[in-house]
Amino acid sequence: MKSREQEYKEIFIAEALEYFDALNRHISTLEKQPEDEQTLAEIFRLLHNLKANSKAIGYLQISDISHKLETAFSLIRSKELVFSDEVVTVLFDGIDMLGELIHNVDNPKFSEPDPILLRNLDIIVENLSESTIELAKVQKYNTSKNLSLSELVYIQIKKLDHMMNLVGELMIDRDRIISISRELGNDDLKSVSSHLYRITEDLQYSVMDARLVNIGSLFNKFPRIVRDIAAAENKEVNLSLSGQDIQIDRNILQIITDSLLHLVRNAITHGIEKPEEREKKGKKAAGELRLSAQSDRDNVLITLQDDGRGIDMKTVMKKAVERQLVAAEVAKDLADNEVLSFIFEPGFSTAKEITEFSGRGVGLDVVKNAIDSIGGRITVDSEKGKGTTFILQLPTSIAVKGALLFEVDNIYYAIPLIHTDQVVALDRDELHEVGDVIVANLKGETITVVYLNELLNAPEANMNLGDKTRLNGQVQNIIIVSYNNRKLGLIVDKLYRQQDIVVKPLSKPLQQIDIYGGVTLLGTGRVCLVLDVPAITRYFINMRQGRGDGKE
Amino acid sequence: MARDKSITNPGATAEPKAAEGQTQGAKKGEADVAQPEAEMVHLIVFKLGTEEYAIKIDQVKEVTTTPSVTRMPRTPDFVKGVANIRGDIIAIIDMEKRFQIRPAELIDGLISNQSYTLVIEAKDYSIGVEVKEVPQSLNLPVTKIDKAPSFLQDVSVSENFIEGLAKINNRLIIVLDMHKILTQDEINQLSKS
Repeated sequence: MKSREQEYKEIFIAEALEYFDALNRHISTLEKQPEDEQTLAEIFRLLHNLKANSKAIGYLQISDISHKLETAFSLIRSKELVFSDEVVTVLFDGIDMLGELIHNVDNPKFSEPDPILLRNLDIIVENLSESTIELAKVQKYNTSKNLSLSELVYIQIKKLDHMMNLVGELMIDRDRIISISRELGNDDLKSVSSHLYRITEDLQYSVMDARLVNIGSLFNKFPRIVRDIAAAENKEVNLSLSGQDIQIDRNILQIITDSLLHLVRNAITHGIEKPEEREKKGKKAAGELRLSAQSDRDNVLITLQDDGRGIDMKTVMKKAVERQLVAAEVAKDLADNEVLSFIFEPGFSTAKEITEFSGRGVGLDVVKNAIDSIGGRITVDSEKGKGTTFILQLPTSIAVKGALLFEVDNIYYAIPLIHTDQVVALDRDELHEVGDVIVANLKGETITVVYLNELLNAPEANMNLGDKTRLNGQVQNIIIVSYNNRKLGLIVDKLYRQQDIVVKPLSKPLQQIDIYGGVTLLGTGRVCLVLDVPAITRYFINMRQGRGDGKE
Repeated sequence: MARDKSITNPGATAEPKAAEGQTQGAKKGEADVAQPEAEMVHLIVFKLGTEEYAIKIDQVKEVTTTPSVTRMPRTPDFVKGVANIRGDIIAIIDMEKRFQIRPAELIDGLISNQSYTLVIEAKDYSIGVEVKEVPQSLNLPVTKIDKAPSFLQDVSVSENFIEGLAKINNRLIIVLDMHKILTQDEINQLSKS
């Protein structure tokens, strides 16, 4: 693996060479049509970028010459310098020199740029119209230039998406072949299929790698955004960034961009207080906003933390009861994280109401849906007066996911690992019928448990989620899933292994059935349904509420 | 579009039947043979309930024996489930349930757990339609299809799907437009459940 620095350098060189080619093209055009404003502007832009890029990465000679050339062209643009023959020669020489430098950035033996040329450049820039001073003849380094093509190709993300899909298909077929080769027991087939396994694995990682971008490409936009929002709100905010080097799938980053912007905006407008208010509370006048990224096994965690006023649990609860999201008597006993989960409810707050009572939650359901759509998780933690923290847990890749396989009523299902907390086996006696649900006591934590077979297969009219007698067998396998700060235990019939799966989206007309996140094919060729944890949790809540209200 | 429009021969029984269907169509259509310029249409004919239905062949991607279908809980009952057909996972639809067609009583001797699936290619997706008997192939002149029968307003089966009625030697074949089989209403209905 190349170091990050080496990679940056290669990208710089490739880009610089492209600029160099473009400069050559444009200056040749300009020689023929000196009046062409557009070409001049383009040359200007290229030199300017080259100057900035080379300076950023530390190639000062390149940035120096770019700067001189840029100045010369700005004079030409403002008609202070005539695009005459001798000026043209100097400019061509200067651009050639840039090319030499770019080609030789890594060559320690390469000498300093020709001082005569540098002087010539200075002369045309500084002496303007007084053409009395002789321009010295520059000795050419090499007249027979090598033609070379760029080391970098730009590629449309669409093409990478297509490749990723193909790799997904290939993996499914590979698993099928491996399972067939096991059945047949042919040694040749076995060795070929294990080789195939390694190659597809490599291919998969290569394609995934090609899609990775630095989180910094998004994070680095925030200092300016934060400054602007803070200025508009008359607030002082210090933004600190970390983990810009962490890499993530480009499409995932694209999908969360709006969400992150939303959260940052919320944190400043509603979270962080005005300077005077902060000082009264004994806080520093400037609010602290931390945006950080870190890798966590196969996931990327993005944390946004502010030290603002936090979320007031009591008002959230009051609002939740008002909106009939929860019964008043139940609300009293909810844990903090359960209360906080209400802020993600659709329409939980419209802008006005929320600023009055807690200042959070404008369209947080939209944020949540975006995160859900890529199979990620969002959690929130807040303490009144101390601040709020949002944690986004994101997969590094969209297509391939670790998942837990299981069976319910002879149908294979999978749940992405990002939503599973733990797996437990409990005796039937450890499950209790409380009201219209079953609950289990797990290390002091009370968790609602639901029999998936009942939830998925019983006719909706006589579904009974609180009836233990519908369970099969004595020992129950339970997958604890977590969604929106809430835990739910899913009782399954048989538990299988953990496995990387390629989730295929459901094709029309089924793609609108939201309890399924997609399907996958197992090595045996069997179809396995991938459950969407957010949707199944919602479905469960709807079924309970429907019954509670006497509907259905 | 429909690249491999091969009709996978589903079994030994299929051949004579399909052939018979074709010869019938050709023999009784003598009048049309006399005018070779008459536009022909190629249909795949199958039975739902006790009636014959047909789909134009260019809407049919393939005919195959029904592979194992994975039931999908919490979908409308006319969705039998999903099946893996050559690596594509497609929805299998029970048309009798879909159109509330009374299933035919089982004829003695024809009891089989074998069924056939027509893979229909819509604009941007495929669906499978399960039928109990081997579908037949039939060529007939376009003129034999009555495009706009006035009675359609009275038919309970949503008239949108019926492209016309083909009448040929005392047979009446209902020609369906499969592209309209799942209209927006339908899709909405799916998402609600």
